Amino acid sequence: MARFIVRRLLQLIPTLAALSVLLFIWLRALPGGPEAALLGERATPETQAAIRERLGLDEPILGQYAAYVRQLLQLDFGTSTQTRQPVLEEFLNRFPGTIELTATAMVIAVGVGIPLGYFAARRRGSLLDNLTVGGSMVGICTPIFFLAFVLKWIFGENLGWLPTIGRQSPGAGATHITNLFVLDGIITREWDAAWDAFLHLLLPGIAVASIPFAIIVRMTRASVLEVLGEDYVRTAESKGLTHRVVRGRHVLRNALLPVVTAIGVLTGALLSGAVLTETVFAFNGIGLFVYEAIRNADYPVLMGFIMFIAFTFVMVNLLVDISYSIIDPRVRVN
Amino acid sequence: MRVNRFKAALALAAASALLLSACAESDRGGDDDAGANPDATFIFGAEGEHTAMDPMYTSDSISSRLNGQMIETLVTYTPGTVDIEGGLAESWEPDESGTVWTFQLRGGVTFHDGTPFNAEAVCFNFDRWHNQPPGINQSPDMSYYWQQFSGGFAENEEGRDDLGEPNYVSCEATDELTAVITLRNPTSKMVGLLVRQQFGMQSPTALEQYNADEIGGTPAAPEFSEYATAHPTGTGPFMFESWDQAAGEVVMVRNEDYWGGPATISRLIFRAIPDENARRQALLSGEIHAYDQPAPPDWATLEAEGMRLEVRDALNLLYIAFTQDHNVALEDIRVRQAIAHALDRQAMVDAVMAEGAEVATQFMPPILPGWNSAVPTYEYDPERAATLLAEAGYEPGELEVDFWYPTDVTRPYMPDPQSIFELFQANLEDAGITVNAISEPWTPPYLSNVQNGEADLHFLGWTADYAHANNFLATWFLRPLPQWGFDNQSIFDGLAEADAEPDEAAQTAMYEQLNAEIMEYLPGVPISHTPVAMAFAPNVSGVPVSPLLDEVFNTAQIDE
Repeated sequence: MARFIVRRLLQLIPTLAALSVLLFIWLRALPGGPEAALLGERATPETQAAIRERLGLDEPILGQYAAYVRQLLQLDFGTSTQTRQPVLEEFLNRFPGTIELTATAMVIAVGVGIPLGYFAARRRGSLLDNLTVGGSMVGICTPIFFLAFVLKWIFGENLGWLPTIGRQSPGAGATHITNLFVLDGIITREWDAAWDAFLHLLLPGIAVASIPFAIIVRMTRASVLEVLGEDYVRTAESKGLTHRVVRGRHVLRNALLPVVTAIGVLTGALLSGAVLTETVFAFNGIGLFVYEAIRNADYPVLMGFIMFIAFTFVMVNLLVDISYSIIDPRVRVN
Repeated sequence: MRVNRFKAALALAAASALLLSACAESDRGGDDDAGANPDATFIFGAEGEHTAMDPMYTSDSISSRLNGQMIETLVTYTPGTVDIEGGLAESWEPDESGTVWTFQLRGGVTFHDGTPFNAEAVCFNFDRWHNQPPGINQSPDMSYYWQQFSGGFAENEEGRDDLGEPNYVSCEATDELTAVITLRNPTSKMVGLLVRQQFGMQSPTALEQYNADEIGGTPAAPEFSEYATAHPTGTGPFMFESWDQAAGEVVMVRNEDYWGGPATISRLIFRAIPDENARRQALLSGEIHAYDQPAPPDWATLEAEGMRLEVRDALNLLYIAFTQDHNVALEDIRVRQAIAHALDRQAMVDAVMAEGAEVATQFMPPILPGWNSAVPTYEYDPERAATLLAEAGYEPGELEVDFWYPTDVTRPYMPDPQSIFELFQANLEDAGITVNAISEPWTPPYLSNVQNGEADLHFLGWTADYAHANNFLATWFLRPLPQWGFDNQSIFDGLAEADAEPDEAAQTAMYEQLNAEIMEYLPGVPISHTPVAMAFAPNVSGVPVSPLLDEVFNTAQIDE
């Protein structure tokens, strides 16, 4: 297992290196960059030239790339041209927000999606099954930003039940340790702050969960249906095993294999969903930051973000592979 | 058994929902008390995060608005107008040459850290701006407004074409409350530009203690000082309390010792909500009390929902620029006139712009001195346009222009570039001009391309930095610029002379004359001036909105 993990981690290096070259060339090839964005209408040819020089944009591209890699190796992602804060610091401040949000979404998608898909399959053709299949179709088809607006409109503007903006109530003054606000509230025993942060997670969490939820429901249902018809399930039942053992050990365990793989792939969907959702809910995570970075041609942030996402993506898929080998021992043996 | 479990889950879900709604309701309690609440917290939905809380190093409007709550300037605008009045200075006077300015300061004012505000503090601030070291501190985006004001530093960075001999010479504290500032040449920027937040007076003690001038990091990756991130110290009605980066908000508290009397609200929170729709929804759901510049199409919706809109006088301009050296046809005045006559600007304003917008007759708005009611105008007249084109030797359809417009952007002066473009494109084609539409995203690369003279015709605009003719006209017509691609020494010299004229009445007359001359020459077509609004929750009042968008919220009243 250790060798497997190390090998996968080593594979990360060429992936990230290739990505950094591609991104670098692509971003530098764009005409007009931060030198125009920084001063907007106030820029003059002279000030643009001075800023270009300051940012090293006039250097030969290879030299720029070498400098960039040197910085990267020191974990220096540069400074955001819009907020003037170091990119790494901005990420560390904001990424916990995105983690909280995607984790909430994942808990909703998996916690509700798998049982629902399972029971729909068990009662194939029932009302529950039809509702689940139809509902998940709607979930897949509804654009996240639209769902987000509808949720805000219903629960925020009309019912006033749930906050629709930010990660905590304004001026909450909560202590931040990990920047995972719910966890911070629990650690510091600021229960009000933890509850407040939790309420702020609900609507955006549901919005982000919608597509993964629908996919997980459908995959679980299809997969359970398939497994239910397998010989080994009939064998297990005919052996006289209890329903609980058959379902837990034979049906669910085998049915979940493709679902777990899908969850890894869905991390990408979650993150892209988070960009949209964070923007709509002014939820101060990475997504909102990147949305602003795109609007402001903030190269260092965009570079850092894409590298960061690639890294996260690879890591999550590694975790998926590991959990795969736990669920299905054949993977380990092979 | 299974049914029981299902029922239990259902009951739990219902109970949670009830609990949730009860909590939400209890948060919103206390709506019955009438009258303004002196302990209220005012929450402002900002368009994004600020860059620094040291105004000297900022040039964006988000930072300016934030810093303006805490840090004050020598001179300011009478709230809600473009008239200059005393701020931290009670009076000021130039000598005959217009280069030596004596400021009488307000007495009994202290900075938030207890340091007295006096003439020495004023000179400390001016000298600090003047003595910014070469390097990142002098980058155009770092100390933009000082560079606008003085044109250079005590020691300029090498190899910078855009920095020259500084216009600022010295500041002397002749007594406790008298500061005498000497300039090399007279300029309208004294005192016109000093109203800007970037010239806010900050505590010398705090600036030194928290190493305000030390910008760390590398040239490409500057890092602000401790002062600019955690210790802004001015004399304003609000004092800095905290900046929660993870939550994206800045909290300020009332300065009980404020020289103008304590604010009517106890706390002020700036919350970053970058998305326009999210700001609107936050206001509608009662999570913020105000946000700036709602999109004109939302005005009616907001009012229908009971929100209050305060509309400011327009202090901006949208124009079409001709880049003459990019298309030689444009060097013919008849072609420029034909294009101006071809455009139905009134129809465009009626169709696209916010209520209250008006067609521009010259390159500055009517509320500023120097605006001229008798400049040459170019009414919508397609026949006249066709005649002019024929005189210039163009058959219908023969004249071809590349007309650029930006995408992915709205500006206060330009709510919907594409719609504006489409209307004008049709106008020009009606007059027999072939239009090649070129659209690009705002940044990159539209802005830098049009500023570097890559277009024939393009849209751009301006929102005033300070309320003065010079801030409009000199931005474009003080010297040859690639954006315009023409050389008209008479206009360039006229603007330089007007800027240096110390007598206000004489200066105004010069700008009136220049406006006529510019419109005669027609370097582009001024299109419109558009009012911008601020949206408030129904229970908020007492904030006079400013044409320069520099509202301070110390008089806000929140009825509860």
